[in-house]
Formats: sequence, C-alpha cells, structure tokens
Amino acid sequence: SGVWNFGSLLGLCLITQILTGVFLGMDYTSDISTGFSSVTHIWRDVNYGWLIRNLHGNGASFFFICIYMDIGRGLYYGSYLYKETWNIGVVLLLLVMMTAFVGYVVPWGQMSFWGGTVITNLLSGVPYMGDTLVQWIWGGFSVDNGTLTRFFGFHFLLAFVIGGGTVVHLLFLHETGSNNPGGVNSDGDKISFHPYFSYKDLLGFVIMLLGLTSLGLFSPNLLGDPENFTPGNPLVTPPHIQPEWYFLFGYGILRSIPNKVGGVLGLLFSILVLMVVAILHTSKQRGLTFRPVTQFLFWTLVGDMIILTWIGGMPVEHPYIIIGQIGSVLYFGLFLVLVPLGGWVEN
Amino acid sequence: MGRHFGDLAKIRHVITYSISPFEQRAFPNYFSKGIPNVWRRFKSSVFKVAPPMILMYLTYTWGNHVHEQGKRKNPADYEKDQ
Repeated sequence: SGVWNFGSLLGLCLITQILTGVFLGMDYTSDISTGFSSVTHIWRDVNYGWLIRNLHGNGASFFFICIYMDIGRGLYYGSYLYKETWNIGVVLLLLVMMTAFVGYVVPWGQMSFWGGTVITNLLSGVPYMGDTLVQWIWGGFSVDNGTLTRFFGFHFLLAFVIGGGTVVHLLFLHETGSNNPGGVNSDGDKISFHPYFSYKDLLGFVIMLLGLTSLGLFSPNLLGDPENFTPGNPLVTPPHIQPEWYFLFGYGILRSIPNKVGGVLGLLFSILVLMVVAILHTSKQRGLTFRPVTQFLFWTLVGDMIILTWIGGMPVEHPYIIIGQIGSVLYFGLFLVLVPLGGWVEN
Repeated sequence: MGRHFGDLAKIRHVITYSISPFEQRAFPNYFSKGIPNVWRRFKSSVFKVAPPMILMYLTYTWGNHVHEQGKRKNPADYEKDQ
C-alpha cells in the first residue's frame, strides 16, 4: 500500500539534502565570526540561495516525517521481523538524528548555540570521564569556534555515512523482499519493478515534493524557532531552549526523569527500544491487520508520541511535568509490556 | 544476490481468469460500491483510532487549562486580608 512508499521517499530526501547541502557548503563559512552572516549572505545574495536554504531546512523536517512513517509502518505490519534490515534501520535513525543535531548548530543562531550546549552537556553524565568527554567533543571549554568547525565537518561527513548505511539496509531488504499488509509470503505474487513500482514511487515523489514546496513557499518558518534569527550569544540565554519538532518527544522523555544520567538513558533507550521489538513479538500473526487489541495500542503509541512532542515544547511547570512523566512511562510500557501482552491475549 | 524471477515459488492448482481491458469498465461501481465501502472501512477502525486521539486531545486541552489557571490568583488565598 501507500505506506510502503516511505523507503524510496527517504532516498529522495537524502539526495535532496545532499544536493542542497553541497550547494550551501559552497558559500557557508564555519567560523563563529562569519557563520551566521554567511547564511544571511546565502539567503540574500547567492542566486536562489534563499530557495536552497529553505529546501534544506524544511527538507530535514520531511526527512523525519518519512522516517517516523517508515518506522510506524514497520511496527504496524511486523516488518521488524526482518531483523537485520530493521536493526540497520535503527542505526540509520540514530545517524540521521546525529546529522540533524550537528546540522542545526551550523547556522550559529541562538537556538543553534544553546541547543548544542544543552545536548552536548548531557555527555557529562558519563561516569568518571564525562567532563573530559564533553570538552573533547567541544574542542575547548565551551561550545565555541572549535565546536562549530568540527560540527560542520561531521554534518557533511555523516550524510555520506547515511548513504553507505542505506546501501547496507537495502542489501538486507533485497535478500528477503518487502513485507506486505497481509503479512504473508508473497513469493507467488511478485511483479516487476517497472512499471508498477517505478510509477508508484514517482507518484510518491511528486506528492512529497508538493508538500515540501508548499511548506517552503507558503509557510517556510512554520516549523522553525524565531530565536534562530538572532546570532548565537553565549552571554544571553533564551528563555525556552528547545530542539526542532522531530526531537521534542525525546526531549520530553529526557526532562521527565529528575536525574541527569537517568534522563540521558531515557532519551537513549527511547530509540534503542526499537531494537527489542522483534524479540518481544508474541503474536502468531505478523502484522496488526487482524489484531484489534494491539491496533488500539498502536494508536495509543501514536497519541502518546504526539503528547510527548507537545510536552517537549512546553516549559517545565505543572501540569506539564506529570503529563510528561505519565507519557514517558506509557511509551516504554507500550513497547515492553502492553504490546507483547496484547499479542499473547490475541493468540 | 537476492531473489530472482523463476526461482520464487512453485504454486500448483491455482486457476486465474482475466478479461481484456477493452471488454470492461475502467472504474466499475466506483461511487455506488466505493462510498459504502469507505463507510465500512471507517466503522471497522474508528473505535481503535479515535479513543486514543480523543484522549490525547482532552489531555492537551486539560493541561493547557490547568496551566493557565495556575498563573491566575486564587481568591481563597486573599480571604483573610483586611
């Protein structure tokens, strides 16, 4: 069905981000004295620079829309039972998150600087070597020029690491072939890629590019933070430091645990929990198509993630604190307890 | 590497029938059967999708309401003032 389009869409997103990113890299300078103004220069002076930057920033949001939909499809239809493909997919998610994080620091706006400061400081929770580790990552005693130059380098490099990971992801997928909404063996029903999937994927590309250009041309700052229009200033802390929307659910989980190391582990495991879903699969059926109890739990997970995304963007005050804590417990409870239980009940 | 046509599956005792595209309508009963089918598909999934979404919305509105209330003065705190 249509939800199988997100794999090819992710490939399109990666190509879009690399192309726009390479062109941005031709005029961007990764020094704290010129970084912010080089982005302004690209926007105002470089031919179609405004469009390239627009597509790159909003393209990142579409990358995450596609990746979350791809994961959602995988969870709903039990595609995670292709364990190698799935686990490489989780690694790709982590790589995309790392790329987006360092990429957001690059424009050196207020949220770039302070978001970078908050998240890199989390590494100080590592026992014994935490502080040394943070300073090693920073290349100094705070987020400063050393941090910016290497983060730009990491951002450029990681994009191609993702490309390599994508090849391995597809290598394993092509060993088994794709899953399907019925969750059944489809060896007897195979059809050629062209014209069926070439045109299907092309339609998906058109729809996604329509969405990306609509967002970029009608409402380019809808998903952004106004703080990033101000150059990064280590002497002025923004009142509400928050990451981009695609990280807010993890930010919500991080802040729900009133312990630094605990919060970091919560954030980490909110992604790594995906690696245990295959082990916790209890149902005799592969997907949720004929499993009403677990379907309900799936949509509860979707609702919970939206709640956690909302909470991640709210200040740490009542009642947002308790909602975030309940939402975090529900998130892990669904993956580790409720969904396996649902499968067992349905058997 | 991977699977190849001709080496996928052996299926016996399955008979398929087909009719030429020139002998049939392209979108038969698109509205007369399609609309009732959309309603059938909606009914079969609404009680699994809607409750979590409704709960989510109620949590959102309740949370924002309580937060706003918390920013207001509580008259009970000032009852004993002269």
